[in-house]
Parts: sequence; C-alpha cells; structure tokens
Amino acid sequence: MVKGKNEKEDIEIDAITSKGVEFGYGEQPVLFDITFTIKKEEFVAITGPNGSGKTTLLKLILGILQPRKGEIRVMGYSTKERDKIMNLIGFMPQKEHISSNFPILVRDVVMLGLGARKGIMKPTGKADEEEGIQAIKSVGLDEEIWMEKFAELSGGQQQRVLLARALAIKPEILLLDEPFNGVDIPSQNKILDLISDLRKKGVTVLLVVHNVNPLLHHIDKIMLLKNRIVAFGKPDEVLTDKNLISAYGASIPIIYCEEGYAHPVYSDIHG
Amino acid sequence: MEISEVLVQPYMLRAIAGIILIAINASVAGSFTIFRNVSFLVAGASHSALAGAALFILLGVYGFPANPLIGALLFAIATAFVAGYASKEETNTAIGISFAMSMSLAILFISMIREYAAKVWSLLIGDLFLLTYEDLYLITFVTFLSLMIALLFYKAFLFISFDSEGATAFGLNTRRYNYLLLSLIAISAVMLLKGVGAILVFAMLVAPAAASNELASNLRDVFIYAFIIALVSGFVGIAISFFFEVSPGAIASLLATTIYFFSLLARRFRGD
Repeated sequence: MVKGKNEKEDIEIDAITSKGVEFGYGEQPVLFDITFTIKKEEFVAITGPNGSGKTTLLKLILGILQPRKGEIRVMGYSTKERDKIMNLIGFMPQKEHISSNFPILVRDVVMLGLGARKGIMKPTGKADEEEGIQAIKSVGLDEEIWMEKFAELSGGQQQRVLLARALAIKPEILLLDEPFNGVDIPSQNKILDLISDLRKKGVTVLLVVHNVNPLLHHIDKIMLLKNRIVAFGKPDEVLTDKNLISAYGASIPIIYCEEGYAHPVYSDIHG
Repeated sequence: MEISEVLVQPYMLRAIAGIILIAINASVAGSFTIFRNVSFLVAGASHSALAGAALFILLGVYGFPANPLIGALLFAIATAFVAGYASKEETNTAIGISFAMSMSLAILFISMIREYAAKVWSLLIGDLFLLTYEDLYLITFVTFLSLMIALLFYKAFLFISFDSEGATAFGLNTRRYNYLLLSLIAISAVMLLKGVGAILVFAMLVAPAAASNELASNLRDVFIYAFIIALVSGFVGIAISFFFEVSPGAIASLLATTIYFFSLLARRFRGD
C-alpha cells in the first residue's frame, strides 16, 4: 500500500484509465473491450447512438456500476474505492432526470452536493454556504439567484446551477451527462467558456453528448461508442465516414466549417 | 353539556391529541410524499394495512392475541418495499398490485372472522372519537420516531427526491434511503388509520402537503403550511361533528382536499 502511494506521488498519473472493461445487465454486454486513457486536463466528449453505452460508461467511471471484467482507475484509484474517487469527481446529471415539482431553492440544490460530500448527516455551516455562493458566481449566475426556486429558472440557468453543485466540491474531474439538452445557444457557450477556464485550472472534463457539434471547436478528443470503442482520438480522426457508419449503421454527411472542423450532420439518425 | 365541559371529556382530549399527531404526520411524511412523488403509495399502504390488521385480528381469534396495528404496520412496510424494489416506471403498478392483493387478503380474512369483521371495518372508516389511550401511546411513539428519522436523514431524503441519479453519484446509498423514506411514508399512513380510516388516509396525509406545496415559497414553509392545514382541518372536523353528529374525519378530509383545489387556483391566479 505504502509503495503504491509513493508511486502515485512520484509519477504523473492519468485522470482515467480503463483496461479491458466489460459490463452488461444480462448476458449481452452493454460495453466490452473498453480500453482507453484520459490524461489530466483533457476535455473529452463521449458520443454514439442511443443504447451505445454512453451513460453506462459514466456510471462505471463513477463507481456506481462495477465492471464484470477489467478495471477502471480514476486518478490512480480503482473505482471500487468509491469514497476515494467520489471526492475527486464532480457529476452533473441529465436535467430531464430531475424532479423539482416542489419549492426547492438554488441554495438547497447546491448545498445538497456540499452536504453529501461532507457527510449527509452532518450540518453545513456559513463557510459551506459561502463556498456554494462562490460556485454559483463561478458559473456566471447572479448571487441573487441563491434564494430563488430551482423550478422557476430557465433550462440554461438550471443546468448551470447543477454545474455549480458539481463544482462546489472542487473536483479534479468533471463528468457531465448531456449538459446541452434543453439549453439555448448563449447558455451553451457560457457553459463551454466555463469549462475552458476550468481546464486552465487543471480540471479534466468528460461529457456525454448525442450531438458533438456544439463542442467540436473546444474538445481535445472524441470517444465514439457503439458498445465498444469505435474510435478515440482527435475529432477529425474520429469523425470519418467509416467510423460513423460503424457506430450509427448509416452514412452521416460531414460538412467542414470555415475553421476546418468536420461536423457530422446527424439529421434524424441520432436519438 | 357546555362546550367547555365537552372539551375536557377524555374522548375529546384524545381526539384533539389524535389531530395533532395526524398533523405532524401530514407535515413530515405528507411533504416527502409530494417531494418524492409517491402519493399512490399512501393509498396502497393504508389499504394494505387493513389486510395486516385483519390478519392479526384473525390470529387473535385463533388464540394468538396481537395488536392489529402491528399487523397493519408490517403490511404497509411490505408495500413500501415492493414500491422501492420496482423500477421508477413500474412503481405505481407495483403499488397497485400490492394494494389489490392486500384487499383480496383483507376480504378473505374478514370472511373467516365474520363475528369480528366490525373491528376491521372500523379501520376502513376510522373514528377520531374512538381512539384509545393505547392507540395514542403507540401513535405518539411512532410519530416521534419518524420525526427523528426525517430530521436525521432530511438532506438524504431531499437529495434522492430531487435527483436520485445525482445523489448516487455524490455517494449516497440511494437504494437504502429510498426504502427508508418509503417505509416512513407507509408507517405514517398506518398512524392515520384508526383516526380517519383507510379510505380517508390519502386525503389527510397527502392533501395538506399537496396544498402547501402549491403555496409555499421554500421547503420549510411546505412543512409548516401542511401542518397548519391538517391541524385546522382536523379541528374544524371535530367542531362540526360535535354540532351535527357527522364523521369528523370526513369533514376534515373534505376541508383539506378543498384547500388543495383552492391552492391550485391561487397559484394559477398568481401566475406562477
């Protein structure tokens, strides 16, 4: 154990490594042969058609699910050591999975995250609240929003509150599940600017998206999934006709923007 | 008899104590029922409880005396576990089926103990004026216990109600807290059984919190308003039943549900 610790201090460890991971709910694997390395401070998008295992992979990284073969390590720790990795990962869920048909305030939402990290039964104090407000400001929201009802915010504001909740715990890795669903273009850009700032501060960012287009100019790498890794690398290397057919089972037209990025035109192929 | 004399009659004092306890349950469990969006569990648990009570009455007939409320608690908690075990999409169906199964059992048990069937029917209708001291001790103890659990796990319950996926990702044992919260709600439903009856438990446990959820501007107020609405409805029920000899539980439930509809209107007019 001691040796392992020293190793971690001495050599540069990768943010996330996955070796030969396989996972399935039944006999049929949802994910298999998943081997990849995400380095610190990288900005990676995971994409692929519906049912390709995108969200399952996020759950494996979070340690919510455990692989039936292989191993995932987060900052050197196995995902079996959940208490260790939880303190390293900030997570933003899909807004659609949230139920806010009650007057929960922005404050409550952000403090739930901080409270969970502290120990859900321990009381949170002024200092924690101060951290929460800082997180709200850091996502470009006004401090006044702190006491407003979550349900009454716009989709983009709600998404940023959830991002603030993830950031309040000062994570080293940020996982975002479909952060742009129901978010208008200006809010998307605000979130993207924020992610750029975070990376400068050394945060590794991993997003699951069904549409990579809003991100293409910002990300370092794309992982194209179809129950296995079809391709993983720089956007232009991944978004080729061959890879897209392999993932989506149909040819997806690619257009090149003025800056030379390849944009897949999903039309109605994606979910 | 003067009103002041009636007010100190033991049965009246017990009814008033019963109302206060009901209001606490309507505030704590009722509000979490709304947050967690599991109102059907209250209907399912209260009716399952009938089957449990009937079984324990049946056991009593065959020489194993036991408090029917214990049987009611066991069956209600079983329903909560069925609801917790089912996936999110299947929750209501699972509750509905255990509801139906319990009612089948209840009727089966009643048919086996015809001479004591009135005992079971009294739990279906309930009566605030028939609460015994033993009932009150049990209800007080259990209500206090649920209140402590709700305070202790308040943040966990809130987190899993708002965003269970996020709660899991932030390290909470969502499954365990979900079972605990659903059991808490089911237990509260049983606490109302003797006072207002299985048929009206839904009205008294869910309607006050549903109304206050429409009116409140923060979470704390949901709990406070739900308590006040349940308490006032209960007292008005007792008062009217004293003058007109009608069921106090029915009046209280009628009032609580009416307040819900007005609160819906109020919210629409306010333009929220």
